[in-house]
Formats: sequence, C-alpha cells, structure tokens
Amino acid sequence: MRTGAPEQIALQGVAKRYQTASGPVLAVESVSLTVRSREFVTLLGPSGCGKSTVLGMIGGLVRPDAGRILIDGEAVVGPSPHKVALVFQDAGLFPWRTALDNVGFGLELQGVPAARRREIALGLLEPMGLRGFEAKYPRELSGGMRQRVAIARALALDTPILLMDEPFGALDEQTRLLMGEWLVDVRGRTHKTVVFVTHSLQEAIALSDRIAVMTSRPGRIKDVVDVALPYPRALDAPEAVDLRAKLWHQVREESLRAMEGGA
Amino acid sequence: MTVLAWRAAVLLAALAVWEIVARPLDPVLYVAPSRLPAALARMLSVKELPPLPGHVWLTFTEIAAAYALAVAAGLWLGFLLGLRRTLGRIYEPLLAALYAVPSVVWYPSLMLFFGLGPASKIAFGFLLGFFPIVLSVLAGVRQVPQHLVTVAVSMGARPRTVFAKVMLPAMASTMVGGFRAGLALCVVGVLVGEILGSRSGVGYVLNYAYGLLMTGEYAVLVILIAAAVLAVDAAGALLEARVKRWGS
Repeated sequence: MRTGAPEQIALQGVAKRYQTASGPVLAVESVSLTVRSREFVTLLGPSGCGKSTVLGMIGGLVRPDAGRILIDGEAVVGPSPHKVALVFQDAGLFPWRTALDNVGFGLELQGVPAARRREIALGLLEPMGLRGFEAKYPRELSGGMRQRVAIARALALDTPILLMDEPFGALDEQTRLLMGEWLVDVRGRTHKTVVFVTHSLQEAIALSDRIAVMTSRPGRIKDVVDVALPYPRALDAPEAVDLRAKLWHQVREESLRAMEGGA
Repeated sequence: MTVLAWRAAVLLAALAVWEIVARPLDPVLYVAPSRLPAALARMLSVKELPPLPGHVWLTFTEIAAAYALAVAAGLWLGFLLGLRRTLGRIYEPLLAALYAVPSVVWYPSLMLFFGLGPASKIAFGFLLGFFPIVLSVLAGVRQVPQHLVTVAVSMGARPRTVFAKVMLPAMASTMVGGFRAGLALCVVGVLVGEILGSRSGVGYVLNYAYGLLMTGEYAVLVILIAAAVLAVDAAGALLEARVKRWGS
C-alpha cells in the first residue's frame, strides 16, 4: 500500500440489488474499500460475485442501493469522464470508426478539435505497437489489438483513474501475459490510479499493489492482501508462489460456494 | 470488369433471342426490340398520344412524395416502438400482420378516400413503402449493441449524442436495406395505382397503350420503367455498400 498518498476512491458500505424475473437478487453487499492515488487495486473473485457491479458503481454507470461512493471526496452521481475512464472485457470499439477515430471518441465528446484528437490518438497508438493500423476498422484488427485500441481510447481521456473490467479476459493466454506486461509499463509511465477486475490469480499477482478478494454472491470483501513484490514480477518467485497458494485457498472456497449456489 | 462484360453479353444475348423469336410473329401482339426506337419516337412526337415527359414527371413527383412520407413515418414509428419497449410489444405484431395483408386490397378504399388524382397514388405508394422501412428501423433499434451505448455513456455522452453517434451508425446497415426495399415498393405502389385507375402518370400511359394494342409503345414504357428502377436501385446498392464497408 502506498501510505501517505491521498485517498482517491472510497466505497462506504455499498450494496446493489438487481430485479430479475425470479425476484430481487442481492449482487453486492456492504462493500467498503479505499483506493489511494496511484494505487493499483484488483478485485478478485469467482464469476458472478459482483466485481463488475462494483466497478460500474465506481464509474457512475450503476447506482448503488445503499452506501456511498466518493471520488476525491465527492459523491459519484454519474459518469465523470474528466476523472474516470473505463475499459471493458469486450473492447466495445465502434465498428464504423477506424482505430484512430475510436481512440478520439471521448475527446470528440469533449469538443476537442479534430487535428488535436488525431495528434493525441497517434501518440497513444504508436507506443502500443499500433503504428500503421490507425486507419483500420476494428474487424481488421486482432483481439489483442482491439483491446489495446480500447485501452488507448480510455487513456485518451487522460483521467487520473482507470477502471478495467477483465480487460484481457477474452484474449488467449499468451496475449494476455504480454498485455499484462504492457499494462505494467503503461502504468509506470502514466501514474494512474487503477481498479482492475479479474478472476485470474496470476493476473492479480502480476499487476496489483493490493488485491481485494471478494466472496461469492452477494459479493462482499473477504480479505485485502498487499502484494509487496517489485515490478516486473516473476510469477515463479517463491513469494509469488506462496501468495498464489494463499489467494487460491480463499478464492477456491468462494468458487465452490458459487458452484453450489447454482452459478 | 469480367463480371460487367458477362452482364453485357447476357443482355445482348437476351435481346438477340427476343428479336429472333418476336420477328416472325404477329406484330400487333409481339414487339421485336428493333421496333422500339421507332415506338419511342412516336410517343414523343405524335400529338394524339399522351405527352410522355409530363406524365413521367408526375409519376416521379408522386413517388418522391410517397417515399418522403414513408421514410418520415417509418422513422418516427420505428423509433417510437423501438425505444418504448411496451408500446413495441403491443403494436409490432399488429404491424407485421398488416404487412402480411396483400396491399392491393386497400387500394379501392384509398381511391374512395383520396379520389382518382395523385393523392390516392401517393397514399398507395406510401402504404407499400412504409412497412419495410418501419420494420427495418425497429429491427435496427433493437440490434444496437447495448454495450456500445454503455461505452459512450461512460465517456459522458448525453442521450442525444448517444442517438447520433452510436445508435444511428449502429443501425445504418440494417436500415439501409429496408429503405431500399421501401423505395422499390413505393414505385410499385404508385405505378399500380396509376394503372388501376387514373387519368395521368406513366401507369396511365401504360394502360392507354396496352388498351389500344400499341404494343411497341407499351414495351417502350416497360423498358423505361425497368431502366429507371434499376438505376435507382444501383444507387441504393452503392449507398448500402458504403454504409457496410466497415461491416462485421
């Protein structure tokens, strides 16, 4: 944990219910968590545990039924594109826009002139190994490239906070590992506060300062684990292996409960 | 290029076959293509025949009016039913059922309501063209990926921006097909309306030529209509290809 850095995101007793055909379902219950500025916190838990819901609430896309969410001390009431950018599991690129125009989308909404948008977008795409692909449409790009464009689109907003919802979940393992290394690098350069959602232990250990393990539905925070390993991280180092065993023990219980719960 | 060459060859072959088959037969009933230019010249010059340019212009304006109305109403109702889920669930089956009714059955009542003039033709063209348009708008609204809307909203897009920058482009490739079909049906509606009962328009001239067994003139009109419709549809196809160039 980066002690001393100011508290940037605070969740205080947050809960969320969803109405379904078979009645209301409590997705998230009494989640409290603080994330400091420039910290990388991962929400780790079994599928359906409400990780994405928590992220959506921080991003202002989902309204909590109870509790409060503060960003820089202010209550979140909706999307705040000047402070928070989101990346989703599905890249969600606009298929009718080129890579360049996808990256410029958020800036376009903010009224940034086209020439400046182009400059910013090119500046983001180039170090991502997407030079020469700026005029391509999403269907012409590989899965990993699309996800990088989606991340570039989020970075283009130049927000202090980046929320990532299983951004590499749909990629094959090799691409996923490479993207993780790349994200560590990006983060080192941009100094963002990141809240990252995953169900992958490896990914959580490779990327995070702290890992919040969530319970199966209703999602609560079971434990918060510090990862005090230097970057770049070797996942076969003894500390990483121990940590993985510890996390697996916790996640396994919840995954079993989720399976018994008919998930 | 080779495709174009083949198409031209097929067209020429068809004309040749037509010529060979029609030439020895009764010229009152069967028209050989070689007689068409003379028939066209007669239509444009002989004073006793209905003046063609005026009738073509009338038909064109009727089609344009019918199509404009069909597009406007189709967009309005399509968005209304697509965006208001409950309304959509109530009225969409009704719409689909109406679409299934052979539209010609409505025409007599349209003539009663709107008279023998252009209004009833416009109404019939509208009636035919409206359904594919409204159904395609409705289908388009429903297939807008919710996920892309979420992405835009997360970046601060307001409803109007979401509509213009996400919904419309996401719907374009679905809508353009319905708009093409709608135009073709507007043309059919107006022409059928003119043929079934009127004193003016291309359909009227067609009926006139046919009634007097002026087969040459009749064939000229058929070919003119076919050429016009093909040209319009080719333009539509180009537009569709442009919209779909990023296609999935």
